Amino acid sequence: MSLRRFFFSFPIFFTVFLLQEAFVTQIRLPAGSLNLLLVVALIWAALSTPEIGALTGFGAGLMMDVSQTSPGPMGHWTLVLIVACYVIAFLGYGDDNIRGNPINIVFLTTIGVVAAQTVFLILGIMLGQEIGSVKQVLLVLAGSAFWTAIVSPLILKVISYFHSIIFGERSHI
Amino acid sequence: MRYGGDNRGRLLIIVLLVTSLFLITLDLRGVQVIDGLRTGTQTALTPVQKVGSWVVSPFRNFISDVTHLGRTRNQMDKLKAENDKLRLALQNRETADAQLKQLKGVLNLAGTAGYKVVNAKVISQGSSTSFTQTLTIDAGTTSGIHTNMTVLSGFGLVGVVKYAYPNSALVQLASDPAFKIGARIAGTQQIGILSGQGTRKGVLQLLDNTTQVRKGDALLARGSQNGRPFVPGVPIGEVTSVDNSPGAVTQTADVKFYTNFSTLGVVAVVVSGSSADPRDALVPPKPRPTPLPTVTIYATPGAVEPSPTPTPTTKTK
Repeated sequence: MSLRRFFFSFPIFFTVFLLQEAFVTQIRLPAGSLNLLLVVALIWAALSTPEIGALTGFGAGLMMDVSQTSPGPMGHWTLVLIVACYVIAFLGYGDDNIRGNPINIVFLTTIGVVAAQTVFLILGIMLGQEIGSVKQVLLVLAGSAFWTAIVSPLILKVISYFHSIIFGERSHI
Repeated sequence: MRYGGDNRGRLLIIVLLVTSLFLITLDLRGVQVIDGLRTGTQTALTPVQKVGSWVVSPFRNFISDVTHLGRTRNQMDKLKAENDKLRLALQNRETADAQLKQLKGVLNLAGTAGYKVVNAKVISQGSSTSFTQTLTIDAGTTSGIHTNMTVLSGFGLVGVVKYAYPNSALVQLASDPAFKIGARIAGTQQIGILSGQGTRKGVLQLLDNTTQVRKGDALLARGSQNGRPFVPGVPIGEVTSVDNSPGAVTQTADVKFYTNFSTLGVVAVVVSGSSADPRDALVPPKPRPTPLPTVTIYATPGAVEPSPTPTPTTKTK
């Protein structure tokens, strides 16, 4: 059942992946950039059960890993997103105060993006990657949080719509 | 109700985590399949990215430009201010260069004559609305400048100190209509009185009607007793035209002052004249005409037309 829904979700994420790779990466945003796939995955997870969240993280993480812009080894983003999406879904699952309020979802997503990037960074350091200056890292994290907070409310309704089509009206905001 | 999870869910998460760790391990060990997967994805994505680049290119930097608008404006303002500052510095430099040139000229003149001078900068041009020709210099009695002292430029006479204040002095220009100076013509030593006319041109009235004045004659200051108000030998100007009317009681001539009064930046006040009269030593040398080389070619009739390649039969004189 979950796998069937997972495969239904795939075209949506693939489209977002294409949008991310073809368009979003080419727009130069000040103070860092936006990872649309990461944002969509976290919103999707926030509307789902923890298992679905973990599966979402797995799929989205694989897509991010095959991207040429990903600096880490294959599975790096996958590992991070499995954990991040699972935690987001776990925090929101069964608590209608979180799920029913778009502001909470935006807040969760923004925190999730920063946390996921931080974990990705720490894992990267453990795997021997260079991270650059601390100032630059902080700037990128702040920029990502800012743009996520801007974009999340704009796409939340659309994602919620597709999520409700696949998983039922219960998750519709 | 909080989600507690079940065995199936836990198993799924463990499987996913192990899978990701497995992928990391494979990649770090350099398994070719993983590299191939990334390369293949990039190859497939390249056309899409090209389309994206084409679509995005018109507004690629738009957001960045909008957000940097204030900063760009600040930068422009800063650059404009810097440009103005540099332009002002350049103007000051040009002014300083011009003043240096004038100072050099005036020191040369004073040095040749043996005058003791005090240099001063012109700080104000007197207003001509009161029909006087004056200027103010930035040195006064504290620098040893007093009234009735000769004022020089690098070209010759400027005027005389009319009023001296502690730190400034008012100079009556030689072009002032009320200005009069005893002058002599270099060489012939004929004497006369030169009067200002309000312009760069003065009028010389010769005292002896039998003498001859020629166009181009140089005029020098005759000098006063004790060198005040005028020290002797200061170049004044050059005769530009002579009025030889038969009925005139005295002979007059128009004189063009050597000094251009409107471009004065630095002047020198003669505080002490030379012990000996410099005579005609300060007369500026007349400009020598630059010789223009002319070439005349004589062609011999019947000679071979010159060809691009010179031949021994061509004759040129």
